Amino acid sequence: MAGYLIRRILLGLLTLLLITMAIYALIRYMPGNPLATDAAMMNPENMPSEEDIQRMRAAYGLDKSIPEAYAHWLTNMIKGDFGSSFAEKKPVLDVIGSRVTNTLLLTVPSLILAYILAIPIGLFSTARSGKSDERLVGVVLYMLYAIPSFIAALFLQLLFAVKLEGTAFELPLMGTKADDYEALTSSEQIWDLLEHMILPVISFTYVSLAYYSRFIKANMEEVIRQDYIRTAKAKGLGPFRIMIHHAFRNTLIPFVTLLGLSLPALLGGAIILEQIFNWPGMGQLYFRSILTRDYPVIMGLTFALSVLTLLGQLLADILYAFVDPRISYQ
Amino acid sequence: MKETTAASENKKSPGFWRHAWLRFRRKKLSMCALIVVFLLSLVAIFSPMIAGTRPIVCKYKGNLYFPCMAYFNADWENPIFQKDRFRKRYPKNLKEKDPDSWAVWPLIFQDPYRPVRNNEWEDRPGNPFNGGEPSSLNIFGTSKGKDVLAMMVHGTRIALLVGFVSTGIAATIGIFVGAVSGYFGGWVDIIISRIIELVMCIPSIVLILALMAVIEQPTIWHMMAILGFTSWTGMARLTRGEFLKLKESEFVAAARSIGVGPFRIMFRHILPNALAPVMVPIVFGIAAAIKVEAGLSLLGFGAPPPNPSWGTILNAGMTNYTEWWQIVFPGVAIFITILAYNLIGEGLQESTDPRLADPKD
Repeated sequence: MAGYLIRRILLGLLTLLLITMAIYALIRYMPGNPLATDAAMMNPENMPSEEDIQRMRAAYGLDKSIPEAYAHWLTNMIKGDFGSSFAEKKPVLDVIGSRVTNTLLLTVPSLILAYILAIPIGLFSTARSGKSDERLVGVVLYMLYAIPSFIAALFLQLLFAVKLEGTAFELPLMGTKADDYEALTSSEQIWDLLEHMILPVISFTYVSLAYYSRFIKANMEEVIRQDYIRTAKAKGLGPFRIMIHHAFRNTLIPFVTLLGLSLPALLGGAIILEQIFNWPGMGQLYFRSILTRDYPVIMGLTFALSVLTLLGQLLADILYAFVDPRISYQ
Repeated sequence: MKETTAASENKKSPGFWRHAWLRFRRKKLSMCALIVVFLLSLVAIFSPMIAGTRPIVCKYKGNLYFPCMAYFNADWENPIFQKDRFRKRYPKNLKEKDPDSWAVWPLIFQDPYRPVRNNEWEDRPGNPFNGGEPSSLNIFGTSKGKDVLAMMVHGTRIALLVGFVSTGIAATIGIFVGAVSGYFGGWVDIIISRIIELVMCIPSIVLILALMAVIEQPTIWHMMAILGFTSWTGMARLTRGEFLKLKESEFVAAARSIGVGPFRIMFRHILPNALAPVMVPIVFGIAAAIKVEAGLSLLGFGAPPPNPSWGTILNAGMTNYTEWWQIVFPGVAIFITILAYNLIGEGLQESTDPRLADPKD
């Protein structure tokens, strides 16, 4: 196991190196640079002098060639220094840190919700397979799966924030807090935050909900054809016990891979959804940093996401060996 | 008597794809989806004839012209209309400059690129600039003065094109890389598999945004290329798996023993047998490409503004939620298209899976 882990980690480090190298080269090839997008630089009355520009280029590392600048970034990163955001003039870790909570506020509830709902729906669909109620659920899930989450988000906004405006069901259009947030008592503040979370969380949840429950059903269908299920039935066990105790436990094996693979989505959030809901999370940060050519932030986010993706894959493989005794990494 | 035996000997048993088609045809939903995609393709091909402000055919100064073709490519507008200073306003200019002219007009006199002005068409009011609700002249309302229906009709072209072209690129790369990796094995396979894993580790939207930002003035063709170059990994993995399995089979050994070259074996002998499982992700890939294009256009990162992509209309709708028609109509169009491709993909999956084959046919 230890040998396997070491091999995987070394391979992961190599992958990380290649990814960050590729992204670094990409962002440096983007037309325009952080100097050109800075609002202060656009002011015609206060054009910076040539020396100032040179000084700023040096400060931003633009005077170095791409390999040199990448090596600089890499050595600093290994020391734990990700540089400072050009746009916010703060260390990258602080900039990302200030947004992690916001993204987790959306993704953690939505992930939990998706699993809590998908398992019973999947089990229900298997138990009543072919019956009219199961088919109705199946059709609804299939339709939901075909609506991109950003369109669902826009439709939800139209319904709850525009159409139902002024009724008891009205929900805020976007953002994380109401205008009069400061004046509210702390319990009202929590309620306000919850209200702002409802629409984004629904938009985040339903695609994975549709996917997971179809996934569980497909795996369950395979398992309940096995001989040992027939044996369990033959010795007189109730259908409920067979479903949960015998069949579902075996579908857990493919399910854990999903769990591992959804780890990067936790932090990555969704760039489009956060933009639609004007939610100050990591996805929005990434989008903005691309627009303003904020190199250190792009690199920091890419690094964090890649680490999570690799960790998720590793976790999935380890969990695999954990739930399935047939697999071992000796 | 002799003839009938000869005829029955000549009658070949239906091939794999014919079998699959016979089974596919029995799935009502998948067939409906196929019809929907066919209708959408018709709308895309005939978009300038459905909505536009240029005549489909017109007779002008003794010659026949097809000005509507300029919607496919601006260079296809006959120079005579520039010389005679038409400035894209056909109805009045045709009458003024040649009283004997006649023209056949598109079904809907609306333009996807610009608002129709007052009296451009005789005695017809122009498009309202703000708050253009759906009306008899603008059936789906207006977006910044432009007719939403006309934009959506012409947007169909972009949506279908993006789906086909980007998935075509992805499939070509994926099948080639997967085939090479699976067939040759050894260190080639190790290197290619590592590359595939590497590309899979980068979240695709992150990579797409970074690549789009690299291009100074992205066009819709750049976007299709980028979508294609970022979505081949799944197909490569699948093709690799199929090739690993099939290269051990006897027909490959037979081909090799009579001296057939490796690339001929890969693409003439193995690929046709590996195509069915690879076709399914290709169809789902088309749906995914349409979704990503709409999402990028919604962020303002997609086809540049005059292009009437469905996502671009959503982008305009996001700035003003009270104009619901800019969100509802394109949203429903995207949903229907994705649903149709998903249903086709599912039908294909079921009808090409030999395990689900009906032993009777």
